[in-house]
Amino acid sequence: MKSLDRNSLEEQTRLVSRYVAGDLSRSERAEFEAWLIASPELAADVEMERRLRRGIASAARRGWLERGVPIERDRGRERHWQIALAASVLVSVGLALSILAPREPASSTGASRSAANGQRVSTVRTVRLSSFRGNGSTPDVSFSLAAAPGALTIEPDVVVLTCEDGAIELECAGGHSPQQPQYAEYEMDVVNRRGGTLAWRSSRQAPVARTQLSFTLRDPGTLDAGNYDVVVRGHSADHAEVVARFWLQVK
Amino acid sequence: MSSLPLDEIERIVAAALTGDRGAESRMLVALRPGVLAVLRFGAFHRWIDAEDLTQETLHIVVERVRARTIDDPRKVFAFAAATARNLALNAARKMLRQQTVVDSELIDELAQNLEMEQSELSDSDDRHLAQAVAELLEELPTERDRQLLTRFYLDGTDKHLLCSELGLSPKHFDRVLMRARTRLRTIIERRAPHLALFPRITSILLPLAMTFTFWVRHFGSW
Repeated sequence: MKSLDRNSLEEQTRLVSRYVAGDLSRSERAEFEAWLIASPELAADVEMERRLRRGIASAARRGWLERGVPIERDRGRERHWQIALAASVLVSVGLALSILAPREPASSTGASRSAANGQRVSTVRTVRLSSFRGNGSTPDVSFSLAAAPGALTIEPDVVVLTCEDGAIELECAGGHSPQQPQYAEYEMDVVNRRGGTLAWRSSRQAPVARTQLSFTLRDPGTLDAGNYDVVVRGHSADHAEVVARFWLQVK
Repeated sequence: MSSLPLDEIERIVAAALTGDRGAESRMLVALRPGVLAVLRFGAFHRWIDAEDLTQETLHIVVERVRARTIDDPRKVFAFAAATARNLALNAARKMLRQQTVVDSELIDELAQNLEMEQSELSDSDDRHLAQAVAELLEELPTERDRQLLTRFYLDGTDKHLLCSELGLSPKHFDRVLMRARTRLRTIIERRAPHLALFPRITSILLPLAMTFTFWVRHFGSW
């Protein structure tokens, strides 16, 4: 360990990101950790590095980063007035039109029926799942057709990190922790248990921030009532494997 | 977080090495966050109870300090880090030995432990954190800094590649990261202080309790 001066501490602070990512060699890590013991300031920095990584991944998962503007900020409240005002104007115009517009003879076409009955609350439901479920007595995810969400996002926590040579170890060569997702890409299938027919297949995706996957099934209300297997499959260049299986129930 | 300066911690440990019991208590308080950090952030953090092992580590460190086999505070820091690492490695080995590991089970175990790590934060805390990070990104002075953070942390783009693409020196890159962490800490302390670092009350009470235990064991009474 170098002398306990501020310059050396600043040198170590530059290593924070590599330390949290598990990129330091065994000797670098030993020295860094001795500094961690000596400096709560450095420990706080490491904690913030972890929070930053997790927070960015979480914000991305919620779609906040793609929009470039975080949602649910205080200024959102200011917008409520504008939205309320706009809604009032729309309602007034709608009322005026319904009173003034000439009336058509009533018709009960299939299209209008389905518009009235089939209208769903356009919400997105997000479910986070750990690995290897689906064998218990209760479904991992369920919804009723009467209250189906507009989209169902499943975030399976199934990506295993391996060493560079693909080995699943606690510690890789050189003292690094595993960093490599086991598979380059993952996809999700929704398979109807009755007849084993494929109801939906996602496109393949690479894990975000090494371990995070997010599959969105648009309009799950179009599925038939019944039980489904939600299968997550990992794909490498020459191999594919089911890495997790969940149970989806549509009532 | 109010933390002691580096040289002050070194002085405290140096005093503890001379047998000063008051300094020993202060040493436990000073070293605890670092030991906990080594255990929480180390290679085996998914397989261990960091709080438990922190106490065990500090126990071993105090005994070594009392035995006067170390004469340099810097060696105490290195010893504490090595002890924490070894205890963590042993705990992880023990945990895996207790299981009959076949491939699928190992994968399952790894996945469950990943889940443990994920659930370290509640949904609401996770949301607070995401909001804090979104606020941080919005506050950044340049689009380039925003790009740097999202591409580095989210896409995993290599530091050198980012530096060359964004026209930054590695030092500037490090500065952006350091500033981001500092700013995030401020935002978190305002929005959700409990996410800032280790709960402060435990960092005071636990070492006091340990000192009490050592004292009673050593002298037979309080």
